[in-house]
Amino acid sequence: MMVIAAADDTWGISGPAFLAFYFAAVCVLLLAAVAHRAYLFAGRSRRPEELGPQQVAYLNGGERLALYTSLGGLRGAGAVTVSPDRTLAVSGTLPEDGTPLDRAVYGAAGNGVRPGALASEPSVAAALTRLREGLERARLVPTAAHRRQARYLPLLMFALDGLGLLRLAAGLANDKPVVGLIFLIILNSVLAVVLFAVVPRHTRAARAAIRTLRNRNPHLSPAVNPAYQTYGPVAAAMGVALFGGAVLWAFDPAFAEEAEVPTGMVYGSVAAGGSGGGSSGGGCGAGSSCGGGGGGCGGGGCGGGCGG
Amino acid sequence: MSYASRQAELVAALVAGAAVPEGFDDRLVGAARQALLRKRAGDVARHWPLLAAGLGPDWGGTFAEWAARRPTGGSLRDGWDLARSLAARGPLPVPAARELALREVRWRYDGNRPPRPRRLPAVRRVGRAYAVQVAGRVWLLGADRG
Amino acid sequence: MAERTEPRPPAEVPGYGVGIGWRPEISGFVADLPGIRFVEVVAETLTAEGPVPAPLAELRGRGVAVVPHGVRLSLGGADPVEPERVAHLARVAEALDAPLVSEHIAFVRAGGLEAGHLLPIPRTREAVDAVVANVGRTRAALGVPIALEPIAALFDWPDDELDEAQFLTEILERSEALLLLDVANVFANARNRGGDPLDLLDRLPLERIAYVHVAGGAEHGGLYHDTHTDPVPPAVLDLLGELSARHRPPSVLLERDGHYPPAAALRAELDAIATAAGHPSIT
Repeated sequence: MMVIAAADDTWGISGPAFLAFYFAAVCVLLLAAVAHRAYLFAGRSRRPEELGPQQVAYLNGGERLALYTSLGGLRGAGAVTVSPDRTLAVSGTLPEDGTPLDRAVYGAAGNGVRPGALASEPSVAAALTRLREGLERARLVPTAAHRRQARYLPLLMFALDGLGLLRLAAGLANDKPVVGLIFLIILNSVLAVVLFAVVPRHTRAARAAIRTLRNRNPHLSPAVNPAYQTYGPVAAAMGVALFGGAVLWAFDPAFAEEAEVPTGMVYGSVAAGGSGGGSSGGGCGAGSSCGGGGGGCGGGGCGGGCGG
Repeated sequence: MSYASRQAELVAALVAGAAVPEGFDDRLVGAARQALLRKRAGDVARHWPLLAAGLGPDWGGTFAEWAARRPTGGSLRDGWDLARSLAARGPLPVPAARELALREVRWRYDGNRPPRPRRLPAVRRVGRAYAVQVAGRVWLLGADRG
Repeated sequence: MAERTEPRPPAEVPGYGVGIGWRPEISGFVADLPGIRFVEVVAETLTAEGPVPAPLAELRGRGVAVVPHGVRLSLGGADPVEPERVAHLARVAEALDAPLVSEHIAFVRAGGLEAGHLLPIPRTREAVDAVVANVGRTRAALGVPIALEPIAALFDWPDDELDEAQFLTEILERSEALLLLDVANVFANARNRGGDPLDLLDRLPLERIAYVHVAGGAEHGGLYHDTHTDPVPPAVLDLLGELSARHRPPSVLLERDGHYPPAAALRAELDAIATAAGHPSIT
């Protein structure tokens, strides 16, 4: 290839000058993207008392968790059960204070749907959509449009990548040092990919509401093995909403097994007083007797019981 | 025989399968032994709820049979030892298997000394999922999330 | 027989009315009881070093008394009580600012084996000496009084010398401890081993009662088991009434350890206890 006699600098801009410009561009776009996301996903804060268990469940674990919260509540009220062939069945009347989602799930149970297929039932899907739309209107869940908009600035960052690659090609052809440019391109790419791919499903307001509710309901955390029979079905539903499917397993293991509720991960642990880091499946009961100290009491009271 | 050794004889009869000491009523000491096992089964079930739920109505009997000659090391260790011995005989029900995996990944337990927290990250496969522990926090990846 | 000095009158203990055993499983229920003024917590479930669990700290903040109840000190053991366990109980009592602590007239370990449960000791002078010595060691480390609870047992030792009333009275007077009278245990012992529970009430030093336990149980294999996981039988409530007619206990505590029923049932039980003991309802 004939070496084209070129001006000393690629494109007439010196290497360091371009690098400085490129670096500044990366920083500006990054800050803009972050600020834009902060604005898009701030949400509007709500008094947590206004949120019902199914709404909380949706905020915490999406459609799946909202469904299991509804299912658990209906089961607790004796309205639905699981047949031996693992399909849902109606076993009682729908509670009066049921939500539209409850009514849809109850109806689907009447049709003998399998628990795993609930989300595909048209009535249930519609109820879930209405649930989501309500939360979007309350600015607790970002709309699809918001999530799309969060990708615009990362797209610009990809464009900046393109510019960088052009410069890189030109610089290589001119035998210019390109290490610094390569580094910046990689940095920009990584940031762009992360910002493009990872778009939050929750607003900050929603996360704050869930944190507040968890801290207000430490007695419902699976870490302390709550007596859901004592607290009642509404509290148990809130427990499922705040702490995940593992709660349903603790509350009603037979039903959880028949309904094939995933054990999943316990969503978060309570800030103060809960024992250990969120292990699934009911935790260890009372504090210090878990994990060490041979011959320990094994939790919660051994005074004189059993008469032996 | 000293007071201390007579107490030791009684405890051994109640929790280690030793003979009922002389002079005690066999039937009543036997009833006490069964009552202790029932209570122990309940305590272990609180520490290992998914294991107990997985065995369903067989939980009490399975536990009593396993524990009759094994003095307690505390409910956490009792359940752990039982879960491991059952897992060695055949696959545990999925929730129980996950419960065990999550514990194994978080704590180091050699069966002899009390379990201690693991300091290094750990991974354990359970079914199609993976129990992962990093810096004390535990996740179950690859399983359906509830 | 050696000369016995006149027993000192028991320490003054405040009365709190009806209370319930605090358990993490029902901490929300306990927190919501409007009239609660005292709870009891198993001492071994608390760590001496760490902070008091938040729900208990909240109760303390409201002025509710929290009494640590030891279950693993093994005061009835032939061996001296382990100093670490005594120190732990003392530190827990201090952290909770407790008005008193309680433990059992029983042993829980021997020969290197843990029984995992409270076991009866023989009603002999030798056993009395051992318990009194251990209580003395414990009191030396405590800054508050200790109440001793006699347990329910399915069997007797073959070499009993004293009857229940003599045995308990001697222990309490020589150790200068208070009495934690568990009426469910009194009922269970009378049912399973014979004897008149009212006669026992007549002969016990009721003025030494710091507080009373009430708990549920169930029949199993022809024997009554004090399980703490069943409802309180009417007969036990009747016995509480009989006790209150003789000496109104300053405080009465419902002990429930598992199979917790719906909140309404627990409240009903607390109300029934309040009625039987002549105390105001706390629900």
